[in-house]
Amino acid sequence: MRPQQIIAKNGDKNMALLKTTRFVGAQIDNFLDLVSDSATLFQLGMEDYLLGRISQFEERLDQIREVENKADDLRITAERYLYEHTLIPENRGDVLAILENTDEVVDNIKDSLMNFSIEMPVIPEDLHDLWMQTTKASVAAVEHLVMAVRSFFRDIAAVNNYIHKVYFFEREADQLGEKLRRLIFAMDDDLSHKIQLRYCALHIERISDYAQNVCDRLAIYTIKRQL
Amino acid sequence: MIFFYLLSGLFLGWSLGANSTGNVFGAAVATRMVRFKTAALIVSIFIFLGAVLEGSGPVGTLGRLGSVDALGGAFTVSLAAALSIFVIVRMGIPVSTSQTVVGAIIGWNFFAGKVMDFHSLITVFGSWIFAFVLAALIAFVLFFIFRAMLNRSKIHLLEQDMLTRYALVVVGAFAAFSLGANNIANVVGVFVPVTPFKPLNIAGLFILEPVTQLYIIGAISVVVGVYTYGHKLVYTVGKDIFQLSPVTALAVLLAQAIVLFLFASRGLHNFLVSLGLPTFPLVSISFTHLTIGAVMGIALAKGGKNVNYRILARISVSWIAAPVMAFLLSFILLFVMQNVFEQKVHEGLKYVFNRHTLAEITRKGYDINALSTVNGRTFDREQTIFNELNTQGHYQRDELIDIIRITEIYPMEVNTKLLTAKGLHKGFTRSQWESLLELEGKKYRHKWQLKAALVSHEAWLLHESPQNEQQKNHNRGIQSKLELLYRSFYTPQKKEIRRLATLH
Repeated sequence: MRPQQIIAKNGDKNMALLKTTRFVGAQIDNFLDLVSDSATLFQLGMEDYLLGRISQFEERLDQIREVENKADDLRITAERYLYEHTLIPENRGDVLAILENTDEVVDNIKDSLMNFSIEMPVIPEDLHDLWMQTTKASVAAVEHLVMAVRSFFRDIAAVNNYIHKVYFFEREADQLGEKLRRLIFAMDDDLSHKIQLRYCALHIERISDYAQNVCDRLAIYTIKRQL
Repeated sequence: MIFFYLLSGLFLGWSLGANSTGNVFGAAVATRMVRFKTAALIVSIFIFLGAVLEGSGPVGTLGRLGSVDALGGAFTVSLAAALSIFVIVRMGIPVSTSQTVVGAIIGWNFFAGKVMDFHSLITVFGSWIFAFVLAALIAFVLFFIFRAMLNRSKIHLLEQDMLTRYALVVVGAFAAFSLGANNIANVVGVFVPVTPFKPLNIAGLFILEPVTQLYIIGAISVVVGVYTYGHKLVYTVGKDIFQLSPVTALAVLLAQAIVLFLFASRGLHNFLVSLGLPTFPLVSISFTHLTIGAVMGIALAKGGKNVNYRILARISVSWIAAPVMAFLLSFILLFVMQNVFEQKVHEGLKYVFNRHTLAEITRKGYDINALSTVNGRTFDREQTIFNELNTQGHYQRDELIDIIRITEIYPMEVNTKLLTAKGLHKGFTRSQWESLLELEGKKYRHKWQLKAALVSHEAWLLHESPQNEQQKNHNRGIQSKLELLYRSFYTPQKKEIRRLATLH
């Protein structure tokens, strides 16, 4: 059942506060599950692509598309409920920003994988290992972002630990990405191919940059949320 | 005429209502946890219930205004207090209703030439600071308890929000109930012995006593205040002094409720006494001071930053300004009422030193030799006697007040039908009522004479020197019932007073 249908079924405003609270809590949890799923799918898709399993790679892309749509629906429903039922009035603006920015990470993951599907860049085998390491660092950043956001809702004291991890993996992705780009331009190849590979590498790095941006905001919201 | 007099009591009720929503739900509304409409509805319902169900009961209803002995005076005192509160509330500053009323009563005391009881005054001023500090302390502690609990429980933000919301409503309702119960006497207490209402039969189901009707009208005036002017103060308490979060708003409300319960609940007091446990002293506590104190406690727990000291200074000044304004206004208005509108603002009681009163003074253990200068004389102002005897230096201030009370001529006729008609009989025990019936139709010239006639019965027995809280409590209960009887049985007879004054 799609979230919009759930809203219609539950008759919106007539929901009791307890029911609404649990419903919105579940929506947010599901949304974060999907963000985590999208990161894992991205890593698996990248592996498939590098190993030449193109049809499986396309399946991963379809799965990510579906996850992105679901995540959008869940986010919109949660946001709508937060405002319609005046839930967490002091924090709802912050929660809204966190959800929207996290959703952008999913969008970015989808765009990045779609880019591979459209351009089908030829990645030399020498770069595979570093390519995968950069991907894993970016994915780790996203997964720690999900944990940080979950902690924001349940365990405020743990948020900073996860934020620290996100920053660590973002730096890791940056360093590996830089190394990757240097290797790309050191290759004896056409400039057009080098530029295409650089563009694809930057896409992977940008995923961890988005995760870092969300964490920058999250750190401030965490201070605000402390009693 | 009584209905006209009642208007100023209702005006006072209105100003209490205007003040209340901010005090009870200011923080909750400002943090958007409770909508103003919801807050106003809860405050209205529970203040109403507190006033009607608990409202100090039919006995001891005279409250602070009890000492004001004429209806015109009560009207003026209420008017002065209500006007002062109105002026301060218009500036968006919460003010203590009880203390403003005390200011107005002091004005009446001065005007009527009564000797001030400094003990009660010090208690009132003490409770002013006491309530503030205690609420701040409790809120400070609650802040750290809440923080530790939230860190440990790992509760979801949304569930925390929901629980805070429910807790705010429940604690707010409890606070509103206590507020109604404690403050309704300020609003209509003085009108209890003269209530103009008749018992009302509600569809044959139950009879609404005149006193209950009076409380209902008083409570309605409070509710009108909540709805028409309550929004003015909501944001001062919850936002302007210090930005509160929903959980800290709950800490503020809980701190208020705890202090109110510990120090103003007769129920808890009696319960602890019955268990033989040490009790908290019962003191008059201002709800406004509790609120501001608790907000300050939270602000300090958070490091004392971001406090709007400008608003805090305005509030502090107004807490002194309101009673002073009420005092001056009361004095001036009493003068106008008496001299321009020719209304009786105090009973104009006489004080006589004759053989009866001197015998009672001797019985109380005072040396009457020092009273030779006043013996055989009649006075019409307490202050005059006080000044004259005080210069001799034979008696302490308290002893002088006691002597003056004995000499006061206060003609009364026992009329139990009067009490029944007003529904006041319910506050007495069966044996107390029977002993009252035995005195039916008897006349007394002094309060102590009626008291002596009653305390000879076991049901009215007073402990000579109370040893423990239980005995003190018992004495307080009997004393407040006696006060109600004095006021209800009072029969002003000019000729009688004149005759008595010349008789010695």
